Amino acid sequence: MIAITIENLVKTFGDTVALNGINLRVEPGELFFLLGPSGCGKTTLLRNIAGFYIPDHGKILFDREDVTKLPPHKRNTGMMFQSYALWPHMTVAKNVAFGLEERRIPSAQIRERVAAALGSVQMSPYADRKIAQLSGGQQQRVALARALVIRPRCLLLDEPLSNLDAKLRLEMRTEIRRVCKEFGLTAIYVTHDQKEALSISDRMAILEGGHIAQIGTPEDVYRRPRSKIVADFIGETNFLTGKVCAASTGRAVVEIPGSGKFEGIVGDPNWLPKPGEDATLSIRPESWILEEKAAEKNSLRGRIGESTYLGEVAQYQFLTAEMKLKVFELNPRLSARTSARDLHAVASPEDVVVLRR
Amino acid sequence: MSSTLSKLVFLFTAIFFALFFVWPIFGTLQGAFVGSDGRWTLDYIAEVFRNPIYLEGLWNSLLMGIFSTLLTAVIALPLAVISDRYLFPGKSLLGAFLLIPMILPPFVGAIGVKQILGQQGAFNALLESLGLMDPAHPMDWLGEGRLWGVILMNALHLYPILYLNVLAALANVDPAMEEAAENLGCTGFRKFRKITLPLIMPGLFAGGTIIFIWSFTELGVPLMFEFTRVTSVQIFSGIKDIGGNPFPFALVAVLLTSTVIFYGMGKFFFGRNSHAMMAKATSLGGPRKVGWLGGALCTGFFCLITFLAILPHLGVILVAFSKDWYATILPTGWTLSHFEAALGHNLTLPSIQNSLKYAALATVLDLILGISIAYVVVRTRLVGRQILDAMAMLPLAVPGLVLAFGYLAMTQEGALMNLASSILAIPAGLASLLGHQEVSVRLTETVAADFGKFLVRHLSPAVDPLIIIVIAYSVRRLPYVVRSAAAGFQQTSVTLEEAAQNLGCPPLRTLRKITLPLIAANLMAGGLLAFSFAMLEVSDSLILAQKQQDFPITKAIYELYQLLGEGRFVASALGVWAMAFLAVTIIGASLILGKKLGAIFRV
Repeated sequence: MIAITIENLVKTFGDTVALNGINLRVEPGELFFLLGPSGCGKTTLLRNIAGFYIPDHGKILFDREDVTKLPPHKRNTGMMFQSYALWPHMTVAKNVAFGLEERRIPSAQIRERVAAALGSVQMSPYADRKIAQLSGGQQQRVALARALVIRPRCLLLDEPLSNLDAKLRLEMRTEIRRVCKEFGLTAIYVTHDQKEALSISDRMAILEGGHIAQIGTPEDVYRRPRSKIVADFIGETNFLTGKVCAASTGRAVVEIPGSGKFEGIVGDPNWLPKPGEDATLSIRPESWILEEKAAEKNSLRGRIGESTYLGEVAQYQFLTAEMKLKVFELNPRLSARTSARDLHAVASPEDVVVLRR
Repeated sequence: MSSTLSKLVFLFTAIFFALFFVWPIFGTLQGAFVGSDGRWTLDYIAEVFRNPIYLEGLWNSLLMGIFSTLLTAVIALPLAVISDRYLFPGKSLLGAFLLIPMILPPFVGAIGVKQILGQQGAFNALLESLGLMDPAHPMDWLGEGRLWGVILMNALHLYPILYLNVLAALANVDPAMEEAAENLGCTGFRKFRKITLPLIMPGLFAGGTIIFIWSFTELGVPLMFEFTRVTSVQIFSGIKDIGGNPFPFALVAVLLTSTVIFYGMGKFFFGRNSHAMMAKATSLGGPRKVGWLGGALCTGFFCLITFLAILPHLGVILVAFSKDWYATILPTGWTLSHFEAALGHNLTLPSIQNSLKYAALATVLDLILGISIAYVVVRTRLVGRQILDAMAMLPLAVPGLVLAFGYLAMTQEGALMNLASSILAIPAGLASLLGHQEVSVRLTETVAADFGKFLVRHLSPAVDPLIIIVIAYSVRRLPYVVRSAAAGFQQTSVTLEEAAQNLGCPPLRTLRKITLPLIAANLMAGGLLAFSFAMLEVSDSLILAQKQQDFPITKAIYELYQLLGEGRFVASALGVWAMAFLAVTIIGASLILGKKLGAIFRV
């Protein structure tokens, strides 16, 4: 188990700055996610850690060892590629054995360890198959076994589930977490799928334009986004803009023109809003509660527009005089929600995040 | 590969090209533009254009190039379009047969063409026996100057290259483009002319260029037709007194310049807009079945072209087996004695041995250079890698005759001695700067002389042509190997290599354990092609092999053909041996590469 420390990493390709001063520490044994829209630099960062790119500035440390300039084959990282990168001219067992052969491990031991690795991903019966004879999910398991069998210092996963169908993806993501925890591995997992990140990560970093926008646990990032970008990227949300009218430590009251005052929690702990400053509120659709009566703050008057019934949840368009909101209701009783009457959408201050404009 | 290694590869290939591509061409140009007094002069070039014999030669070369290219296009274009659009009985087999002529040595086929289409040939005998021609006035099909025979032979030999190019270009045309034209009411030939033809123009141009350059400077075929009033043959005859005669140099310079000009003009008129396909073909185009009549027509057309193309070589085979064949449809007697005579002749076995040795070594050199260059070009971001790529493709654009002549010029004893002393002038100058006068003198005198003698011993074709022939063979075939290796690297995802490195495999071992096995088929095909073209090489072989014990097969065939009496038959017999041998290798290559073979013949 190692800690991975990234210090002030910069990587440019020609004129494009792919990574612009990344600082990060991944704790030993942690399953850490790099999350962001395509082009945000997450795969570039992973490839720097694997050694396929050498950064322009900055350092990468495995525990205290500086590996910044170490070529990839000397880093002892196990990587799972998006395309799996299984060699079509070798059998399953040969693919898995490759890394061990490179390490000059005696062949009896190789056989044992390959068998064990294939067993741990339930692929033992397929050892002698060619790669082309495997399904996508099976290839994914072989790629995992191949990365794990060398007992790497850390596991690097580059969108490992993006080529699988939805059902298999759900199954494999818990499988990956189980294996990581079982082997006690420090793992860095790149994805653009927020569900994957929220469901199995210990912590995650949201990248945007070569910067880290936020680092935190899934709950931190979902409930306390520090910026509009993070709030928008993770989950769905409603943005309301207005002016700060009062602020105390960690809390602020924002006046939304025509809609009254909203109290919420300040997302970025480094920001002290001042009265009169512009601010944006982020309120998740499921935070709203539809009431018959108006509350004295954090309340909007409007009526239900279009609605989509999904069984466990109903998604409404809530129309006020000024705007349209997304409102989700769990365990919905649609018949009670006719669009004829005016309703009040109310959000608890705990569920309102105050962000910079 | 580490960047240091890539840089070394780059440096090594650059030096190789400087020595064996740039320098021979430069040396030739120097011979053409520098007078005996050491001054620059245009006299020799001007004389070429004043001398009616040289002028006629150039004119004939031009006709040879243009009409060979046109005839090739007339044959290849319909074949490619039919093959791309329709399914018909026997298609895959016929498609493979169509490629056979490429590996049949055309200058051997010339013997057969003369036998069949000559005034006393089989075709006239057939017409006479049918009563269609007056025996007293036989028709001269090949023409007085034999120009048409050469053009026919060139076209029948070269059409597969254009066919493969056009086929590859057609395969890249998104069927949706044509469907869009049809949807707007443009169909049939109009659609082909307005949509398809412009889209495949770059492919057509690439193939056409190779064919023009090839036939414009073709040496073997006119030589066998005894068609001497053409520049290539004039250069060949001028080689005997290369020491004192500047005109071969001037002719080569004119040939090279006109090639460049024609290439530039062609590029300007036809190759300007390469239309990038926006997306790979998405809709299910693909060839469609045709009715029985259409199928029969297609099959018949393919059979006819294949038959015509191998007819000269069938003629050669018949000649090889015949006791006598003069003014009759078929030979009048059969014998195996020519094969024995061919094998028994003291030229034959050594020549087969030599050809195998030259071609095998050249192929190995090609593979080493080709893999290195392709790797640097495809897999690294080294500055200047595009230059390396362009350099490796250049031998396709420079006539083989020009290079062969350049090699001969640069390996003359005087030229090699000069090279030795100019190389040693650098350390000698350094030594004298540092005050070691006697070292400097020794370097410029004795050491330079010894080094010069060493170069003569190993590079001069008059002493030992092995090294220079191997290099000549390999430079000319390098583009094919680079293209096929580069195609392999491009098709093989780089993550397969990264995965190996990630598991602890250093870059060079990754190349050996992962990449090379994955692109083995490409390398094998490229290598086989390089090998069989090297076996068939004419210009380098005729010009550089000077002593009988060094002759390769092609020169042996040429020499045997010159013998009076039996010569024609024995040369044909040796030609049949060579063809049988080559057929095996090329069929192997096309089985491995299939349709992708076309990708190899691009400039």
